[in-house]
Amino acid sequence: MATINLVDLKKNYGSVPAVKGINLSVKDGELIVLVGPSGCGKSTLLRMVAGLESVTSGRIEIAGRDVVKAEPAERDIAMVFQNYALYPHMTVRGNLEYGLKNRGTPREEIDRRVKEAADILEIGPMLDRKPRQLSGGQRQRVAMGRAIVREPAAFLFDEPLSNLDAKLRVQMRVEIRKLQRRLKTTSLYVTHDQLEAMTLADRLVVMNNGLVEQLGTPTEVYDRPATLFVAGFIGSPPMNLLPVSALDAASGFDILGLPPGTDVVGIRPDHLTLESSDEPSLALPATVELLEPIGGESHLHARLKNGDHAVILSVPGRPEIEEGATITIHVKPADLHPFNRESGRRTDTAVANP
Amino acid sequence: MQTKRTIFPNKLLPYILLAPQLAVTLIFFIWPAMQAVKSSFEREDPFGFKTTFIWFDNYKRLFADPSYINAAGNTFVFAISVTVFSMSLSLLLAVAVNRVLRTNRLYTTLLVWPYAVAPVVVGILWWFMFNPSIGIAPYLLRGLGVSWNHRIDGSQAMLLVIIAASWKQISYNFLFFVAGLQSVPQSLTEAAAIDGAGPFKRFWTIVFPLLSPTTFFLLIVNINYAMFDTFGIIDATTAGGPAQATNILVYKVYADGFLGLNIGSSAAQSVVLMLIVIVLTAIQFRYVERRVQY
Repeated sequence: MATINLVDLKKNYGSVPAVKGINLSVKDGELIVLVGPSGCGKSTLLRMVAGLESVTSGRIEIAGRDVVKAEPAERDIAMVFQNYALYPHMTVRGNLEYGLKNRGTPREEIDRRVKEAADILEIGPMLDRKPRQLSGGQRQRVAMGRAIVREPAAFLFDEPLSNLDAKLRVQMRVEIRKLQRRLKTTSLYVTHDQLEAMTLADRLVVMNNGLVEQLGTPTEVYDRPATLFVAGFIGSPPMNLLPVSALDAASGFDILGLPPGTDVVGIRPDHLTLESSDEPSLALPATVELLEPIGGESHLHARLKNGDHAVILSVPGRPEIEEGATITIHVKPADLHPFNRESGRRTDTAVANP
Repeated sequence: MQTKRTIFPNKLLPYILLAPQLAVTLIFFIWPAMQAVKSSFEREDPFGFKTTFIWFDNYKRLFADPSYINAAGNTFVFAISVTVFSMSLSLLLAVAVNRVLRTNRLYTTLLVWPYAVAPVVVGILWWFMFNPSIGIAPYLLRGLGVSWNHRIDGSQAMLLVIIAASWKQISYNFLFFVAGLQSVPQSLTEAAAIDGAGPFKRFWTIVFPLLSPTTFFLLIVNINYAMFDTFGIIDATTAGGPAQATNILVYKVYADGFLGLNIGSSAAQSVVLMLIVIVLTAIQFRYVERRVQY
């Protein structure tokens, strides 16, 4: 139970900056997901909080205490590693007990906590096995168990699901969420998977190039991406980003009233429709290039007649459209996200960009 | 274990392909070994005119011979000391190098050099340094009030050959330990650090157990080395003296057979050594694959 505060945190490797000044406060019991492409500094940031990387400048406060100079063991955190980092020569029980023994926890207390964690994670029958005798998902649970038994102030997760297959990943994702809700332990979670980030996070931190691009709840970030980068990164299939010139010939362009400075417009694939609605909308003529049925919905790859721009539509069901057919795409003005290419920011009401 | 199977269309071809290796093994390994076994059951007259088959007389005599028992004791002390000394020192060096990131190549290269030095040269090197009349070490030791003369003092002589033999073996052990240490995932030590283990505790509870395959392998290799490959060092440094104090089994084989010309006894001794090697190798194969796994 604790808060984590990062104040202007920076990290350089030699002369190369990896983390360029991060400010973040994690509330007590909150799960914050750091998401971004590889090399954006999210793992480095997490390892700095863990105490595994030195800090070039700035402050890290865990439970109100500045821990920049503290050893990892003194920070009262537990970390789940991408490769689980289970001690291969110890049994599952040995793995769970190791951190408690090092801290001189009394025997009864150790037994109680190990039993509790084993019950929560349903790894009781495996306590006397070695990690190599476990499957990937079971190892993942043991790694979680090792974090739980410590009853730390905060959990740090470093891409804990990326070594699992797709099905197990979804399952473990749900379990991590439930577990975190139940234990109410402050958590920092690093991932490069935007779906994982969206589903797990109380609040989301989108990082790029060692900086925070946007901080907000998953819906805020999805509904109002603050920058072009976030717009392209969050959402699958990604948001269509079109230059304004691609729209200006379309009927209905005059009513848009785009904010000054707008030269790029973002439209989510599911906001592009084939049927015109009653509300005034923008109509864009296009040619169908490819139709991908993916079950309940279909992805329609089309090319705008005006300016030769590729767009993706996410349409319900399986529309009967021939490849090469000419269609008219409709979009409501309210669903347009206006951006400025040079600054990379939204041009309508400024969204705070820490 | 998965093996690649090759199907030969011709029944004869695999044997032809194997023939060179088999010939080498038979002529240079199996045949001499068989000769040794044969000689160990025979006694030759002083002029080499005839040999008599005498069953186990050579062996009986050997085990009743106090100088053989003495050599066995020396070998025990020597092998254990060299193994412990060279392994612990090289582990220390390997751990140190593993912590240094940038110049680690340089250290590794420098530390490997002694391995390239021939055993006899190693012997001469240390003989020279510790030479009671002209060596630098006795001179320095005299300053500390220690009178060094391994030509008279048996324990000093033993110490000298142990140092010389260990020095040469450190490079070899070091290389294996460095490789072993680098294969221990960084995240394990990090996890242990978060789990509240200090550097020493991390080493002994995480890193060292994970090194156990390497350690066990080196243990066998080092015992083998100390028992069989140190002939050159002993010969050049002390020649088994003074008063048999550094005479180890493998050196005694040479001394009795080639200097004393007692072929029968020498052959029996080498058969005993052969059995020791077989046992050590068997242990190695059995345990490296089983016990040491985690």
